[in-house]
Order: sequence, then structure tokens, then C-alpha cells
Amino acid sequence: MMPLPNLVRMVASNTMRSRRHFALSVFGIVIGIATFVLFLASTEQVAAVLEKIFPVEEVEVIPPKVTLVQNDTKRLDDSTVSQIKERSEVSRVLPRMSLAFPAFGSGSFNGSQLSLEVGGAADGIDPTYVVDDPSLDPEQHKYMADLFRDWEAPGVAKGGSCVPPPPDGASTCPHPDRYYCDRSDNTCHHRVPVVISPTMLELYNTEYAKSHGTPMIGEDFAKFMIKQGGLSAMRFSLLLGQSVFGQTVASGRHREVEGVVIGISAKAKRIGMTIPLGYIERWNTEFVNPDAGKAYSSIVVTLNDQRRIPAFAQWLQDKEDLRLDDSLGQKFATVIFIIRLVLVIISLVIIVISAINIAHNFFMQVTERRRELGLLRAVGASQTDVSALVICEAALIGIIGGILGCLLGFLMSLGLDYLSNHYASGFPYKPSTWFHFRWWIIGGGLLCAAGFAVIGGYLPARKAARMEPAQALTQN
Amino acid sequence: MPAGPVVRLRDITKSYGVGAAKTEVLRGVSFDIDAGEFVALVGQSGSGKSTLLNIIGGLDNPDAGEVEVLGVDTRKAGDAKRAELRNKSIGFVFQAFNLLDHKSVLENVILPASFSSSHKDAVGRGREALRRVNLSDYAHRHPGELSGGQKQRVAIARALFSEPKLLLCDEPTGSLDSETGKEVIDFFRELNAKEGLTLLIVTHERRVSSVAKRVIAMRDGLLVETTDEALAAAHAGPAG
Repeated sequence: MMPLPNLVRMVASNTMRSRRHFALSVFGIVIGIATFVLFLASTEQVAAVLEKIFPVEEVEVIPPKVTLVQNDTKRLDDSTVSQIKERSEVSRVLPRMSLAFPAFGSGSFNGSQLSLEVGGAADGIDPTYVVDDPSLDPEQHKYMADLFRDWEAPGVAKGGSCVPPPPDGASTCPHPDRYYCDRSDNTCHHRVPVVISPTMLELYNTEYAKSHGTPMIGEDFAKFMIKQGGLSAMRFSLLLGQSVFGQTVASGRHREVEGVVIGISAKAKRIGMTIPLGYIERWNTEFVNPDAGKAYSSIVVTLNDQRRIPAFAQWLQDKEDLRLDDSLGQKFATVIFIIRLVLVIISLVIIVISAINIAHNFFMQVTERRRELGLLRAVGASQTDVSALVICEAALIGIIGGILGCLLGFLMSLGLDYLSNHYASGFPYKPSTWFHFRWWIIGGGLLCAAGFAVIGGYLPARKAARMEPAQALTQN
Repeated sequence: MPAGPVVRLRDITKSYGVGAAKTEVLRGVSFDIDAGEFVALVGQSGSGKSTLLNIIGGLDNPDAGEVEVLGVDTRKAGDAKRAELRNKSIGFVFQAFNLLDHKSVLENVILPASFSSSHKDAVGRGREALRRVNLSDYAHRHPGELSGGQKQRVAIARALFSEPKLLLCDEPTGSLDSETGKEVIDFFRELNAKEGLTLLIVTHERRVSSVAKRVIAMRDGLLVETTDEALAAAHAGPAG
């Protein structure tokens, strides 16, 4: 067998000699691998973004749909939560509760007076659900942990007494950016912490801001503004017991509290706002009845493994007569999977065509180099040596094509990101880059390039190895 | 070197084509070549000389018969073993030189070193081989810059690079003018006389066969008696 250094030298020499063949063969591989890595990096990033917004392992348990013939729907309460917690596939259970009576929020933003119906569009959740969001960086986590909590929970110190300020007057409480003077009991209360979803921000940007001429808000800008003393700017009053359309609760009871938007969270109610669960429990009890303060609207369940979702869903249906909300995460995961499959198939088709092109070029080369290959046999090359020579020349095309393809894919991603940032900056949920080049994508691209090139070179190599040297030496 | 003949052929047959197009090129050829012999294989075109040379060199396989070269049964030996035999013990010189135009003269000479790790100091030995054929100053030129005679001397240097025990030459003077051809023949005679190198030269030129110690004549795939008439007939036609 030919020594490896000699093989490498001969492969390099032959490649340099046949530059036209080399360029023709490499071109297809470069295009194929560039699209391969670009498509995979793109779908990887899109999947990651969607998974952040709609976690796949996270499902939401909801009561069965109400029908005309059956109105005794299963209620979600603490006993349901306990039963779900006992399941082995479940790692975390957090109930959500919707605001069950009319309410509306109003405040000013950038000189405009905004009013928003909150009844039915607000819910409460355990604060840890928002605070422990893995997508938050450490600074954001600390900020959320500091503010997003139930400030009215038993055991939490209340503020002192105060004199209510005149309408639109500044708070008379200490730390006025956080505390306000509640007119119902002349006591300082921490403003109710509110988080809104990125969807709300997108709705504002794409609908409200355009129609009302208010400035667009980037997510980063919103976070910055909220964090940098924007608490005062983002505060609003919340009238409990009365809707923006004038509707009231049966008892006619109503009172005003103050809230403050403290951040954007993917864990917030998609359309509406989310506050710590304790507030909603107390308000539902106060404005509706004690039962309303115990009935959850849904239960967020985190599973150990997304593959156990079907078994869990079946148990819910059979034992509890409950069901899972149609998970957007699951739907998006399926869509992304199909898109990725289609794109990978397209790029593989390009690579396969490249491999066929390589095979064609090498068949031509083997025919052109018959006499040379015969001579190599005459001076001591075995069939294996000749075969290895052709295969390695093909592999070199694959490796170089793969490297150039990955580079081209990366450059194309920079170009596409540039275009996206300049011409589609307002695209919903647009990440800073549309591509995530993981190591396995690059490695897979290189392997794929070398593998298909070798496959392309295999038959010509076999033909070269089986060539009769005596005949080859006599042919021109 | 193993005891016994360098080349031992018994009942070698070889045909090309099938059915009606089948042509028997060799029809039971047997002979031995001992170490140190200078043998000329002569015959008319199509007599089977080159086919026989290729079979001895392991570049072609007979349909039947026994071939033993330097103690190796080349019919039973695997491809790797035959390649090793060609690489280390057999040198080839072809009528068409068969030099690689993209490589320098020196690179052509040391080409056999590419296929074995046992060739030490390939460049030094390649230069020595070029010195033996008086082409030391041409090491870095390319074949395209050389005359026909110089090209054949490069091919001979390549054949001698591995210090072979058997040199197989197929019409080595066929593409050369008479003066250059004479120089090549003299060089072969010197190699045989001074170094005892075993040579088998396929030729149809009387001047080549006249310097050989033994002449084997072929006609229609068979050996014929090496009478003056037979030799005259063998030399009458072109190479085959």
C-alpha cells in the first residue's frame, strides 16, 4: 500500500494539474453545502426563537369545551393541581387564573391617553413562572425577582398611611416610583407589577402605533425604558369592577388601584397582561365570590420529556376529563420540522447532483488519464493504490467544497441578516440574527460534502483500478 | 535472488475477444530466462511478443499456463504482490517512453518511490540514475523540453531507479533515429555485461537482436526455431 504522505503529495499534484475539472466539481458542492448549512442554521434559529416563545415541553391543561347538552364542566382547582403533581412525567405545575369580572386600565403614554379593557384579558400566575424564565439574562432575572411579586400577600409589610394626592398629582408615598396612595384606605401600596407579552408589543407596534402615530418600540428599548426609571412612565390606573364600556359587577362594587408595567415576558398572557396570582385570587373573591377565587382558568404543566406528552394527554382525558390546549409550541415544532425536512431535501438534491457531476468529471479524467494510470501500475501501483488515488482526489474536492460551502453559507447569512435588519426591522419576533450555525451543522456539512464526493468518485475509482495496465499503456 | 531461472514460462496461452472474433495471441509458449541473460524476443506484428512481455511483467494475465518471475508465481500472487514485484524487481522501458509531462525529469525517474516506503533517499538515487544515462543536467526540465533520445534515457533511468533484477523493454529503439537507437542498445549491452542485469527486449530490429546473447523468435503465438531464415522472417515485419 502506498505510504500516506506520498498519496497526499500525489493527490495535491494531480488536483493542481486538473484545475478546470477541480473547479467544475467543487462548484456544485460549494452551492449544495452553502444551502445545506444556511437552511439548517436558519431553521435552527427560527425553531429556537419559537421554542422560547412557545416551549414545547410546556403544556396547558384546560377544562373541556362547554357544549349545549353538557354544561357540568370539570373545574380546575387545587385538587386538580395536586393530582397532576403526582404524575411521574410532570416536573412543575403552575395554575393560572383569569380576572373574572370587568375592569379596565388607563394611563398616558407619550402624550396619548390609552385605555384598555382588562376583564378577561388579565390573568395571574405564580411569580416564579415569570421570574425563572430561562431566556432572561442574570440582570433581567434579578430585576424581575425584585419587582414581580405579590406585594399584598399575607406577611408582606404594608406602606404607611398617606394623604391621597389630587388627580394627576405625584404620589405622596415614599419611593413614589413604586408606591402610590390608595384612596380606599389612605395607605401606601406597591403598584401591582404587570408583565406583558412580546405579542402585545408586536400588536402595539404593528397596529396601534401606526394608527395613532405613536413611536414604535423595540423589545430592547422597552426593556431599557422600563428598567431605567421608566416605572413612573409605565404606570397606569386599574379600575376594578367596571369595564371601559361602563359595565359593572352585580354588587356595583368598584375601586381603583395602580399598576406598573415592569417588563416584557414570553410567559405573560399572549393578549392581555399577567400579574402575580395572589392579586387575581383576592380580587375574584372580592368582586365575584369565594369560589371564583379558587377556580383556575388553566394549569401550566412542564413535563420532563416532550415525548411523554401523548401519555399525559391520554391520562388527562381518561381520568380527569380534561384536555390540553392546542399547543402552539407543538404546532410550530411540527411546521419547523417539515420546513427543515423540505429544505434539507432540496440541499441534498443539489449535493447529489454535485456528486453525479463529480462522478462524470472523474469518469472523463480516468479515461483521459488511462495511459498515466497504466504507467503507475507498471512502476508499482496496486489496484488499491490507484483506487485510493482517485477516491482521495474526489474527497479533496468534497473537503475543499465543504469548507468553501460553509464559508459561503456564513457570508450569505450575514448578507441576509443585513437585508433583514435594513428592510424588515419591524418583522414580528425578529431576532438579531436569523441563523444559528451550530457545530453539528458545520460538521454535518463537511461530512456530507466529503461523503458525497467520495460516493461520486467511487465508480470512477473502481474503473481506474480495474483497468488492464497493458491495454492502458498502449492507448492514446 | 532465488535459485533457478529469472523467468519461467510453461504452456502460456492468451486470446482476445469471444466467439468468432476470438483471436489466439499466445498458443502454448514455454521458455526460461536465466539470470544475467540478454534475450531478444523477435517476431512480426501480431506474433504475440508484447503480450508475452506484459504477462512476464505482471501487466497482463495469461488464460492458462505457468508464469514464474524471480520466484514469484504471478498467476497465483495477488495484485499487491505483483505490484510489489514490479516496483522493486522489474524495470520497464516502452517504445513510447511513457513519461508524465507535468512532472520534471527527476520526478519521473523517482516515480516508483511513490508506491513503496522502502525507497530511501529517492531524490539522491534518482539523480544517480540520471547520471548513469548522462542526463544529470536535465533533472528539473520537463519531458516536453527533451529530444526523443533524451526521453528514452529518462525512461531507462526510471526503469533502473529501483535497481531491478529484470529489465523488460518493449521496442525501446522503435521511436528513435538509428544513431540514438545505437546508443541505447550499447547502454543495454553495457548494463548486461558489467552489472549482469537480466534483459528481455522485444524488438523487430536486427541490430538490436544481433547484440543479444539469445534470440527467441515468435510467429503466430508460437516460438519458432531461431534459424537465420526464421530470424530474417521475424525481422521483416513491423513490431507487434
